[in-house]
Amino acid sequence: MDRAAVLDHEFLIAAYTVTWVVQLSYLAWLGWKWRAETRAARRREQESR
Amino acid sequence: MKKLAIGLFAAVTVGLMFWGYYQAMYVAPNDAMQGEIFRIIYYHVPSAAVAFAFFAVSLTGSIGYLAARHNHPERAQRFDAWAVAGAEVGVVFCTVVLTTGPLWGRRAWGIWWTWDARLTTTLVLWLIYVSYLLLRRFAAGPQMQTLAAVLGIFGALDVPIVYMSNRWWRTQHPAPVFGGGPGSGMAPSMVTVLLWNMLAWFCWGVLILVLRYNVERKRQANAAEEAREALESQV
Repeated sequence: MDRAAVLDHEFLIAAYTVTWVVQLSYLAWLGWKWRAETRAARRREQESR
Repeated sequence: MKKLAIGLFAAVTVGLMFWGYYQAMYVAPNDAMQGEIFRIIYYHVPSAAVAFAFFAVSLTGSIGYLAARHNHPERAQRFDAWAVAGAEVGVVFCTVVLTTGPLWGRRAWGIWWTWDARLTTTLVLWLIYVSYLLLRRFAAGPQMQTLAAVLGIFGALDVPIVYMSNRWWRTQHPAPVFGGGPGSGMAPSMVTVLLWNMLAWFCWGVLILVLRYNVERKRQANAAEEAREALESQV
């Protein structure tokens, strides 16, 4: 493989990796947010009893 | 039943993601001019298409909120939740477009960035929606949702400009792949792979859009409850 082809491959992998890192980080943040809102609702419910 | 349907949809989406990746990496042929780097198109273009679709969701939610906020407050809150979900998920996909694009550009053009019409209008679109999210995050008071809805509508006006930019102005960015007139288009073997990835990313987008909508509805319910308790404690 020549140097240009190696660089092309590395840039392609970088692009796919960045895509997945962005998407999965956002999904993780959504999961954290969901848990935080659920806990807040449960805590309020317990306090009001 | 609802949980089962969501689980099934999530499983199909994950399957589609793997299938799309396999198609993009191992089935699609290399481009005759650009070689392997051209495969970035299978993540870059679907991300742009999905971002546009979700900015349209945000536009619909914003218009719905403005229309319903006086007479149907509960419906208005649902519209507002769709508006923020569409904007946020749209920004995520737009971020992918703005990071995969320069990686592709560096190899194909020799530069990371240029102030070409398509790139600049896309960056402006991203900045508008980031400011929309910042407004929602840091502004307070009853006018915040209305201001955000107006900004969301203005932001969506940039979407057709981004879409048409490489038709109206011929600068650095390549001509449109589809609907760009004579000479545009791809080999059928590449089109199939692109469409699989388009479907996979669209399903993934819908999945996180619905999740984001539900998180926002929970947040709204918590905020309403908090406000009610604060009022009761003052009486």
